[in-house]
Parts: sequence; C-alpha cells; structure tokens
Amino acid sequence: MTWMAPRTVAEAVQLKAEWPDATLVAGGTFVGILARQGLLASEDWISLQYVRELRELSTSSELALGAMVTHRRIELDPEISMGWPGVQQVFAAVASPRVRNAATIGGVLGDADYASDPPAMLVALDAWVEALSVRGLRRIPVADLILGHYQTSLEEDELITRVLVPRGRHHVTYRKLRTRSREDRPSVVAAASFHEGRVSVVVGAVAERPQFFPDLCATWKPGDSTSTREIAAGYADRIDPVSDNRGSAAYRTRMIAVEVRRALDSLAPAALTSQAAGR
Amino acid sequence: MTDPRIRASIRYPNDLTVPGMWHVRLVRSPYAAARVTHIDTSLLPEGVVVLTPSEVEPLGRYGCQISDQYVLAGVARHVGDPVAAVAAADEATAREAANLLEAGYERLPAVLDERDALRAGAPLVHDTHAVSDSDAAYFGLRPLEGTNVCHRFRIRTAGLPQGEPYTADPEPDDHAEGFDAAEVIVDETFHMPAVQHVAMEPHACIANWRDGKLEVTTGTQTPFNMRQDLARLFGLSDTDVRIVCPPMGGSFGAKTFVRTEAIAAAVARRLDRPVRLALDRDEEFVTLTRHAATVRIRLGATRGGRFVAKRVWCWVNTGAYADCGPGVAMKMGYAGVGPYRFDHVAVDSYCIYTNLPPAGAFRGYGAAQSVWASERVTDLMAAELGVDPVDLRRQNLLVDGDVFCTGETMHDVHFEELLDDAARAVDWQPGGDNRGKGVAVMLKGMQTPSKAEVGLRRVDDGRFEVLSGTTEMGQGSAKAIAQLAADLLGVDVDQVEVPPPDTDRVPYDTRTTSSRSTHMMGRALEAAVEDLKNSGSDYGHGRIANEGGLDVDTGQGIASSHWHQGAAAAAVEVDDETGALTLRSVHAASYAGRVVNRAAAELQQEGSIIMAIGTTLFEELTFDQGQVVGPNLSDYNIPSALDCAAVSQTILEVGGAEVHGLGETALPPVPPAIGNALASLGYRPTELPLTPERVLDCAEDPP
Repeated sequence: MTWMAPRTVAEAVQLKAEWPDATLVAGGTFVGILARQGLLASEDWISLQYVRELRELSTSSELALGAMVTHRRIELDPEISMGWPGVQQVFAAVASPRVRNAATIGGVLGDADYASDPPAMLVALDAWVEALSVRGLRRIPVADLILGHYQTSLEEDELITRVLVPRGRHHVTYRKLRTRSREDRPSVVAAASFHEGRVSVVVGAVAERPQFFPDLCATWKPGDSTSTREIAAGYADRIDPVSDNRGSAAYRTRMIAVEVRRALDSLAPAALTSQAAGR
Repeated sequence: MTDPRIRASIRYPNDLTVPGMWHVRLVRSPYAAARVTHIDTSLLPEGVVVLTPSEVEPLGRYGCQISDQYVLAGVARHVGDPVAAVAAADEATAREAANLLEAGYERLPAVLDERDALRAGAPLVHDTHAVSDSDAAYFGLRPLEGTNVCHRFRIRTAGLPQGEPYTADPEPDDHAEGFDAAEVIVDETFHMPAVQHVAMEPHACIANWRDGKLEVTTGTQTPFNMRQDLARLFGLSDTDVRIVCPPMGGSFGAKTFVRTEAIAAAVARRLDRPVRLALDRDEEFVTLTRHAATVRIRLGATRGGRFVAKRVWCWVNTGAYADCGPGVAMKMGYAGVGPYRFDHVAVDSYCIYTNLPPAGAFRGYGAAQSVWASERVTDLMAAELGVDPVDLRRQNLLVDGDVFCTGETMHDVHFEELLDDAARAVDWQPGGDNRGKGVAVMLKGMQTPSKAEVGLRRVDDGRFEVLSGTTEMGQGSAKAIAQLAADLLGVDVDQVEVPPPDTDRVPYDTRTTSSRSTHMMGRALEAAVEDLKNSGSDYGHGRIANEGGLDVDTGQGIASSHWHQGAAAAAVEVDDETGALTLRSVHAASYAGRVVNRAAAELQQEGSIIMAIGTTLFEELTFDQGQVVGPNLSDYNIPSALDCAAVSQTILEVGGAEVHGLGETALPPVPPAIGNALASLGYRPTELPLTPERVLDCAEDPP
C-alpha cells in the first residue's frame, strides 16, 4: 500500500498523473467507511490533508471554496450566510457536527453519492468546479459533473481544486425530507433558487444524479397554484426514483410532487415582488 | 473521582489482548438455508488453521433453552450462520484467509415469516427440538415436534378450553372464550419488526485452555449460564470453566448466553493457545436481534367500559435458533394482557423458528412487542366506546388486592399514579380535546424464579470488597451495588470495591437481566451484611431466592415476584402530506420503589426512552431473501441527540419500599403512547416503525 501526502496542488496533480488509479482522500468520511467495510480495496492513496491551498476560502467576487474546505466551516462562515444563504443552509443540513467537521466540499462532489445533500443545491445555484490536471484547468458546471452513481465527468488524472458559486442568489430554499433520524441523509431534497426572473428547482437524493428540468421551471407563474402543481406533477412524472432504506420509489414519487410544490411556494413571494418591481 | 468511562480508562473485552494469542475470523453462510457440501482450504496462506463443522459436530448441540445449535453449522440455517472458523497469528492474515476459504453449499428451502412457518408445507428449520438441561430452561418447555414451534405458552383463566395446539390463522370462539358478556369487541393484528441492539462495543472474547481448564474472558450478562453451557458442551465440570466479565461497552440483551464463545473455545483447544474472536459491526446484525412478532388482540368490554375478556395470540419469530425465545414468548404472552382486570383471559404465544438470524434478549424483553399491540387496542376500544382513553384505563387498572390473569394477587401497585403522571406531562384534558396526544400503561415481569448470592469481604484499612456476579454493561450496576453495600455497612462508598465478575471468585447469580440486579443484589447484600456482623469473621455471605413460575399450559402461578410498572405519554404532530411525525413530547413514568442512585436511575430511564423512540420511528431490520439489508450504521439509523429533545420522565419513589429495577420499564409503553397520539389524528397504525411512508399508508381517510 502506498500513502501519498502532497503539500501543494502542483504536487497533488503530478501524483494523480503518475498514479491515476490512486484513491483521493479528502475528509475521509466516505472512503474511510468504504475501506473499513471492505467495499473499497485500494492499493494506493493520495491524501489531500496537507495541501493548504485547497483550504482557501474567498468571498471577494464569487464564492470560491477550496476543495478541502469543510462543511462545518461553510456552515459557520458569516459572509457565506449573508451572501450565499443556500450554500450555508445545505451544508448545515448534512449529518452531524462530527461529520461536518471532517467532510469537505470537494469530497462530497467527487463521491457523487446520490444521497448527499449539497449537489442539488449547487446545481440550483449554477455552481461550477475547477478541475485541474497536469494538462490544464477545466471549468465544469456541477450539473455536468455528476453523471451517475459514484460517477463523475472528471478524467482520471484530474482533481477538483475549487468550487465556485456566483453572487446574487438570495432567493433560495432548501427542503430536506428526512424519514428517519434527524442526522440521516435525505429521502427527498428540493433545492430551489429564484434569480433574474428565472426559477431553478433541483430534486436530489432520489435518483443517480440531481434532477433538473428547466423546461418545466420556465412555465412557472408565481402565485398560480395550478402552474405550481403542474410543475410539481411534471417532476414526479419524469423522475424514476430509487427504493432504499429511506423510502420506496412510490413514496418518493409522491414526495417529489409535495416538495417541489412547497419549494416553489416558498419562493413565490420573492418572485412576485421581483415581477412587480420589473413592471 | 472522574467516572472511568469519561477518562476512557475502562478496558472493555474488545480492548484485551494476551501474549501469544491468535485471531479468529468466521466464514458465514450466504444462504438462509443450505447444507455445507465441502470446504476448500487450498487457497489459504500457510500457517492458517481452519475449523470445520464436521470437527466440532461430536461436541453435540447447545442452547440455553432448546439444544439446537452446533458450534459450527454443517447445515446453515440463516444468512450469516458461521460454517467455519479460521485462525492465524495476526488478524490481517485471519481476515484474508476467511475471504479465501471456499465453501460449497446445497441450497435448502427457507421460511422467513413467523406465520408462514406455521402453515402447511412450510420447511422445518429443525427436525427435532431437544429441551436443554441448562439452568436457563427454568420453566416447562413445550416444543411441538414436527413443526417450527419450539415452545408454546398459554394462559387460560378458569373454565376456558385449551383449543388448537397451534395456529397461524385463529378462528375466535367468543362463547367458549368468555366474551358472552362483552357488548363491544375490538380485534386487531399488529406487527413489530426485528431490530438490532447496536451496543457501541461489538462482541469480543478471548478463550484459553490451561491444564484442561477453559478460561473465557468475554462481555456477557450471563456468566454462570455461560459457564454451565460451555462445561456441558466440552464435557467438563462447571468448576473447570472460568468466565471473566470485564465491563461491557453496552449490551441491551445482546451479550447473553453463548454467542461466539463456543467457537473461540473450540479453536483455542485445537491450537492449544489463546485466541481472540471479535466481531465487526456487520456481524452484529446476524448475531442477535430483537424478536420480530405478530400479535393479535381481541378485547371485549361492556358498553359501560368494563373489560370482560381478552384473547391474545403472539407469533414470535425467534429466527434460526431458539436462544431464550421461549422465555421471550412467555413474557410476551402475559405482558399482552396488560395491567387490567378481566373476567376471562386466553393467551397463546408461539416461539417459532424461521431462517432469519437468531433473536434473543433485548431491553423490554418480550413486553415491547405485545404492549404495542395491547395498548393500541385499549385506545381502539376507547374510540369504539366514545370515551376518554385515560378514563377507560383508570376504570380497569389493577389495584392492590386485585387478581392478575395468572391468579397472583397484586401488591405494591401504582399503575394509576403512573398513568396520571404521564397524562399530566402532555397536558391531557380529561374528556376534552386530546388530538395529537396518547398514553399507555404496562406491566413487565422480573425473572422468576431467580437466585442471587453475594460475598462481602473485609479487606485492609476498613475497606470492603463485594463479590458479585452482577455484570456491568454501562448501566452502573457496580456503582449501585457499592452504594447499597456502603449504606448497609455505614461506610463511605469509596471504601467499597466491586471487582468485575469472575466465576472462580464470585458466588452464583442467575444473571444480569430483566432489571433484576439492583433488586436481588440489594436483598442479598442485606443478608451478607447481617452474616458478616454475626459471623465475627472477615467474610459474610448472602443468598436469596425468589420462588415462583408459571404453569405453561394454563399460565397460572407466580409470573413475577414483583412487577415493573410503567406508563408513557406522547404528543405528536404529523405532516399529513409527507407522513413525517414530529415528537413534541415523550414522557415516561416508572415505579422505582426506593431509589438507590437517582442520577443513574434517570439515565437508565432516559436510555430506555431513547431506544424506544428509535424502534418506534425508524429502526427496522429489513431482509432480502434472509440477508440483512445494510448491516451498518449508515443504512441502519439509531437516534441521534437531535431526536431526543422531547424526552422527559418521572421516577415514582416510595420511601421505605423495596428497590425495583429500572433498566427497561420505560421502553415498552413509549411505542403505543406515540402510536395512540398518531391514531388520535386520524391514523390506524398497526406496524412499526412509524416511518413517514407507513404513516401515510395507515391514514384512515387518505388524501
């Protein structure tokens, strides 16, 4: 077994190029469990724990979060609360303080686990990641990053270095339906943002990747319950949900309609105000 | 002095090592029912030792109530049944070897549901049922040969007929069963799933043979049963087996009777060296569970609300091995009657084999399953009669001098005070609007008959040592015993040592179960202090015995030498679109008699309430063809701190009364209190846990 602990991003990227099959370790809350359960037998590991650049956090223009920024830091940062309330809410909703102290934003996106909270919200906020390799830097919208169960569009020599969230998304809602413990992962998530006259509702934790239907969202008439219900019904109709310990597929289908409707309802006052101002 | 648990200075069984020990890993059946046809060890690394079923078959079978289990299974009866053990000098090699060992299987038909196992054509999990000669088989066992029933227990109050030997689909006979005077009858069938104890510390033991004597260091609540069962299995006298019990990192019933110790002992004997066998978390889920059970209750009352007759059927899923399932079935049977007066009571409780992991002792032993059913039915009757559920209970509750369905006269009874306390905690409005609120009240037996002995030794400097078989699993028994002894001796508690039980040093004790230890050890200590004072020596010995027991064919006799009495209340809100249930308040009230250590008593009670919340709202073992789905703590949730915010409690103390145990009393009434609160909002819950999905499914008026 080889355990590599680079100190700089350049070193990390170089190692990933040389050892493309090595498993990246960020906070360890995901790969640590898999390894202990014998579900992940990796010979080679690259730990990012000593790469200080990856812990940088900037709010000066867009929100720029190094891949190793922990959930807890995002949850407690007052500037993120003010400027990016959706980001704050979604990271505060993950598991317990013990997990949030260790888990990182790069890790949760790289895992591409369908039952994680943050991806749906980051899609709704038009966030993107920077993926770096020795070949150069790519910008990938989070919506295009997660392809399926534990599958991303990252190349094998790439690693996520930063996550960027644009400014100005103040009208947001994050609805997390838990069916078991208060620390459980979601059964159904509805993350929504209203920005510049456009609503984005993203449903998470129900299928292999976040579910977003811009064509349905474009039909929204804020305050019109028929339009809201039709969008909710459309999401329920188009999504083919999984069954797991947190809910059957049939239950999730019902709940998608409920949670999408509630998410839209909670954004309606802001949307109506914005429309009135626009007129 | 800081509690050693906080200083992390306790050495749990899982922490222990001995020089020269090897490590054992188990190879487990992937099938619910299969005969092992061959074991191929050709891929194993050199130096690894393998124990196979055929090598241990000559030892015969063991089991605390039914002798039904071989040390290793030549016929696997559940997914996870150990079919081989591998040992190596280091743990990594043992793990690798266990993965590389290839076992061949011939699949056999399996049955998973407790009632399916009784129906015609069901495969037999065991061909014969041999009653164990263990001390734990302390009542008349009634295995039904040629069926999957390893025990059936009955209650028949005077004049009621015996009825069918067993049935999965009973046809009530109201006239014969005493319902003639009943003007209103409610009848409902309930289900509680299997759940896991999830003690923080998994099972771990070290076995070693010295000059023909077997020594086992292990976490167990039953050191003397363990000693006896291992002695008989290996053909030794009891004194040729020594069981040492360090404090356990939790148990809740999981560490009772022989679990992995027989395998460890067999491997140690083969190697002639000490071995360690410690389970991983996923193995815990196939080692012992709480009994899934289906319980049907038929309750008859007059229009005026007087209970006339009760008919109870319990189908108790004990999995592949009986373990103490017969005892669980018996207690489930009488707990399902509840603390009420009836003219007639008939109960049939069946302990049934299936091809699921074995079920055994679990906090709330037997009572949890039937109290869920019984106290839901009490509310169904209140709704049918249009009366206040608290009033209906109060009208029928047992009071001092009443006769329980077993024929025993009740004494030191406090059900009404407990019920009133619980109702007050949720601001119950007598006869008013109590939507969203529910109550429940219950009685639970203590191990009867039972014996306890204790030794008290004066050591240097006016210090004392208590030699007690009571084991410590985090419940604080050592502290309680030290406190009791200090009070009796009139010394400071720091002057009293209570070392961990070692069967070579401490006198006999039945076991640390059924919330009996503070009560029984307290009384034995009184005798020991008296003996110490009278003997003039440095050693006093106390021995007490509670006589009693039930006739298993009529349920008449002494079920419990005293009764654990508890009530609970809950206030809930439900999101009727998602089914999500929010606990606004969960309150439990238990009768303690005299309190030994209030802080410890409150912690015990709080723990019971929290376990009850988990098993009411979301804990459930699900199986796919007999295999546990998600045997880990991400897929199987237990309550977190955030789930427990609504908990409150009362410990009802009566000065000068005898000491009552409190380890479990608050668990059984909580599920029906929550279920009744939910029912008051237009739902008819019968199955646990009350996941949002299940809540929606039981809406009386679906949206």
